[in-house]
Amino acid sequence: MAGDAVWYEAAQVVGITNALNVAASALDVVGAVDEAAAPPETHALFAEIRDFYQCADVPASFRCIAHDAAYAADVWATTRHAFADHRLARRFKEALAFAVSVTSRSASGAALHLSQMRRFGVGPRGVMEIFGVTQMFSSYTKIADTLQLEPDMGEIAPADPSPAPDDAAP
Amino acid sequence: MPTVRLRAAAEYPSSAQKLFALSSAWFNHEFAEPPAMSRVMAWDSGFGTPHGRAMKRAMAPGEFTRGEKEMVAAAVSGVNACEY
Repeated sequence: MAGDAVWYEAAQVVGITNALNVAASALDVVGAVDEAAAPPETHALFAEIRDFYQCADVPASFRCIAHDAAYAADVWATTRHAFADHRLARRFKEALAFAVSVTSRSASGAALHLSQMRRFGVGPRGVMEIFGVTQMFSSYTKIADTLQLEPDMGEIAPADPSPAPDDAAP
Repeated sequence: MPTVRLRAAAEYPSSAQKLFALSSAWFNHEFAEPPAMSRVMAWDSGFGTPHGRAMKRAMAPGEFTRGEKEMVAAAVSGVNACEY
């Protein structure tokens, strides 16, 4: 996990996962889009999402934000990019998203990413590994916060001197 | 500023010195003083020892590498808004 590029990639997964979980948690309040009455672009979007996740049901977050098709399409493009295989593999990204969802108490996010972890070959032991790391660091973080510990391990990792990538967008 | 006074490693009993050596080995890094969390965990071995064992079991390479698990730990810490 050396170099900054993998951390940027992980941060994208963490950020968009949290954003999707936030939307999913509001499903009961905002309500799901009526797919039957939705415009063609929403049907196309949902078809792409179903294909990406290989599941019949579109995740709650997208059913919730699809009331604005153009907005949902942009969020989907962001999600698809974040979860695609780049330096980090989709299998690991789903595990990362599972940890984020468990930590933020998102039942729908945890269920979605657990199913995706399994689809990408993670077995019961691997699930427990991620669950264990999530639980233990939910302990360490609260101990650190209670005692207001200050960061003191930054020196372990050397700084990455490489420039921003050529495809950096404004 | 920490809620408690973090003791220097030298203020801990010899049994804790072994924990500090394990901490250095775990991070593969020689610290001037053990990390604050290591010193917190060494305060009460009845809590810190099994907690540390559970952490090492969880972080050991298996279906996921140690590096991947460190990244998961960083993400969990971020979601928990923990600066440490």
